[in-house]
Amino acid sequence: MSKSRLPVQEFVPEQTIQHYLDALLQDATEELARVETEPAVQLEAAPVAEPPPAPILRVALPPVIEPALAEPVLETAEQELVAPAPAINPVWREQSFEALLFDVGGLKLAVPLVSLGTIYPLDSEITPLFGQPDWFLGIMPTQAGNLKVLDTARWVMPERYSDDLKERLSFVISVEGYDWGMAVHGVHESIRLQPEQVKWRSQEGKRPWLAGTVIDHMCALLDVSALASLIVKGVASQASGNAPTPALG
Amino acid sequence: MKNNSGQGAEDPILQWVTFRLDNETYGINVMQVQEVLRHTEIAPVPGAPSYVLGIINLRGNVVTVIDTRQRFGLTPAPITDNTRIVIIEADKQVVGIMVDSVAEVVYLRQSEIETAPNVGTDESAKFIQGVCNKNDELLILVDLEKMMTEDEWAELSGF
Repeated sequence: MSKSRLPVQEFVPEQTIQHYLDALLQDATEELARVETEPAVQLEAAPVAEPPPAPILRVALPPVIEPALAEPVLETAEQELVAPAPAINPVWREQSFEALLFDVGGLKLAVPLVSLGTIYPLDSEITPLFGQPDWFLGIMPTQAGNLKVLDTARWVMPERYSDDLKERLSFVISVEGYDWGMAVHGVHESIRLQPEQVKWRSQEGKRPWLAGTVIDHMCALLDVSALASLIVKGVASQASGNAPTPALG
Repeated sequence: MKNNSGQGAEDPILQWVTFRLDNETYGINVMQVQEVLRHTEIAPVPGAPSYVLGIINLRGNVVTVIDTRQRFGLTPAPITDNTRIVIIEADKQVVGIMVDSVAEVVYLRQSEIETAPNVGTDESAKFIQGVCNKNDELLILVDLEKMMTEDEWAELSGF
């Protein structure tokens, strides 16, 4: 009996990742469309009016979107977070930089090495604390001190989260300058990226932690500082409530 | 019981009674612990809040026993031989908290205690006073005073 299982299994994760990247790119495209229309300098035909069709993977857009929001922002928590984010790491965005590839629930992500601390294999126990949001896995002791571990999948793919993802976590990547670490499923090689390879997005969207997408590697580039800021400032807890960070995902 | 020694005021050594709940180790300030009892019959109190297991007779005094698991948002567990009722004094009241087992008394320097992450949305997150590594495990230090709101403490005093 021939079974069609294998092709399906191979197809589904790829499709999932594709859809996810499509969604990320859609966000970026929407922002780009908005940024383009705002100054009333219509470059071309300006075709995008409302929600653009979902899968737009290979659109030739200008590579760098400067998030130049000079406006003093209102005092809502999210805007407060949004404002300082682009200024945190302006340097690495403007020149070629190294990024580490890792995966979370089959989704490939990249994070600039400058934002990273240490990669810990997840062989020691993570102690959960009661009363914490579900994206907070607990505390892991390391040589550098106790690390607060977050369930990265709940942040970057809340709509596709399933509990078995938690069982297969393999590493914790600590974040430079914070006592936080991201639990991930696999760590891969580091790559060198040119700014032109990244489809940058501004920090205004619903995914402040998303720096951009890298089509060449089919991955999303994380802005770890923005993510850490969200966590530290407690926006996550407000946003998540019982549901896994819907406002952020 | 003496609660600090050596080191002076700048980094006092504090004693903590540790207990187990749901495979994790918790600590409470030894100065608030009066005694530790084996599990005994607890008389339920009709109309009591869900976190109150009931009352016990402690040498002629009525002591309310709190369901610590429920209070911490943990799943219920059966009573075992190791189950203990820790009699504590908090908010000028004497109450019992039921725990899976009582472990030991540990000494911790104030400087060893780290603040707990401030991300909890649940009310119970406020109970965590800090965390500390001791004997290769993470000790979660509980602030008993915050285990109840003022209204709840007031309600408890009515039993």
